[in-house]
Amino acid sequence: MKLAVFLPELLRHLFKKPATVDYPFKKLAVPVNFRGTPYLNPERCIVCRACERDCPAEAIEISSVNEAEKRFKMIIHNDRCVHCAQCVDSCPTTPKAMLMDSLFELADDDRHKLKKDWVYVRAVLKPKAAAPATPPPAAEPKA
Amino acid sequence: MSFQIPIGPQHPALKEPISLRMTVEGEVITDVDMRLGYNHRGMEKLAEEKSWLQNIYVTERICGICSHSHATCYVQGVEKLMELAPPRRGLYIRYLVAELERVHSHLLWLGVAGHEAGFDSFFMYTWRDREIVMDLLEMISGNRVHYAINTLGGVRRDIDEGQKAKILEGVATLRKRSEYYFYIGANEPSFVARIAGVGYLSKESAIALCAVGPVARASGVARDVRKDDPCAVYGELDFELATADTCDVLGRVVVRVKELLESYKLIEQMVKGLPAGDIAVKAPRKAKPGEVVSRYEAPRGENIHYIKANGTDKPERLKVRAPTLANYPATVEMLRKGFIADIPLIFAAIDPCICCAERTVTLVAAGSGEESVVRMSDLRRRAIARHQNAPVKRNAVWPL
Repeated sequence: MKLAVFLPELLRHLFKKPATVDYPFKKLAVPVNFRGTPYLNPERCIVCRACERDCPAEAIEISSVNEAEKRFKMIIHNDRCVHCAQCVDSCPTTPKAMLMDSLFELADDDRHKLKKDWVYVRAVLKPKAAAPATPPPAAEPKA
Repeated sequence: MSFQIPIGPQHPALKEPISLRMTVEGEVITDVDMRLGYNHRGMEKLAEEKSWLQNIYVTERICGICSHSHATCYVQGVEKLMELAPPRRGLYIRYLVAELERVHSHLLWLGVAGHEAGFDSFFMYTWRDREIVMDLLEMISGNRVHYAINTLGGVRRDIDEGQKAKILEGVATLRKRSEYYFYIGANEPSFVARIAGVGYLSKESAIALCAVGPVARASGVARDVRKDDPCAVYGELDFELATADTCDVLGRVVVRVKELLESYKLIEQMVKGLPAGDIAVKAPRKAKPGEVVSRYEAPRGENIHYIKANGTDKPERLKVRAPTLANYPATVEMLRKGFIADIPLIFAAIDPCICCAERTVTLVAAGSGEESVVRMSDLRRRAIARHQNAPVKRNAVWPL
């Protein structure tokens, strides 16, 4: 048993820089795959509603604006979003229509201002993507 | 002459709401009554209304510190129900995150223990070092607190070589720091004097009261799900069970620091021996009817999830037994014969996570203090009656 074992460590830290950063003026970079805020790339969305179905927080809302024109509206309620990125995982298109950005400073004075919406025409699957879907039925009878 | 002093539900010594009623004689506590239910959120009911996949994120939010342990416990159970076999790489990453979480939780607790014992510089340093492991978790999973790395049938994110190197580097730093804390704990006489002999829980009562986790291990009970019922990965790894036989808060500190060192060992083994292959298999949307009990060693002790499926895409029942709840009876025993000044220290030593353990609400009559159980239908009838008798609020405005 000695006295004041912690003292050398304390004294050493007198000559060190603080471990914290001066936050609002200096910001730490977020990692590459950071789960920030979800957003939609409307040109790619095929309105399969997989994201709406899988969202645990019911933060995604897709509604039809014009049935004939195949025009849809997606609202992301960022006030409800839990930033789990399940919508990105559920999105079946390649490249993905649902994506996450690295924004994390989302605070606002009104929760309704956090809503984000997109009105867009449903994307059609490219013939390229449809092509590999047809051969398998033809291949099955052979086997 | 005995007095009853209430501590909580809101009290500076408590981080979360719980009501402790101490019967004291002078400075000595003679009896303790605990009252739960101030943080009840209806998680289990919510889980019945979400799909199997959505429930991963619901269970993750049962706790903020051991979020991964609840999600893992749930996912283990559902995988058993769905008869899925996650790929080995997926399992390794899952339990790698689990061990990193244990490191962050134990470092956090060490800081809290230092703070409660009046050793605030210790608290500052452990929490600074905890940032290393938090950054590692953020790098692997994309977030600091809710990692959301689990999915049914594996994990959602892979680890590359650069990340592996960073994990090993971070763990090497942390190991050096933890060994230093172990040295401090052993050699700082004021700290040891404050925590030694406080909150005594004998081995017999630890077994009789079903204590779990570091509380049980500090009383000499070698009980750990990772050893007793090794799931998936732990059977292949080499680690030792940390126990102590001092049966007090000092023992709980020692057990947790030893466990930190064991966790570093496990992390290094898992990173170095990470098998190649896929990280997840595709999971069905529905589970066959059946029930399962899933166990997992959370940083605070054994976590149990009971899951019942009825063939649909939602669970019929999800029951969560958080480790803190299992430790409450032991806490009452520890507090008895203790001093009032030791209450925060003893209570903090079980690493209480109150919102984890809130599964029920007790109705207590404000006047008489009588407790009662009320059925949902009765509550509903009362609510309707109250609504009918209440005067109409003419100036009420819908705020949105």
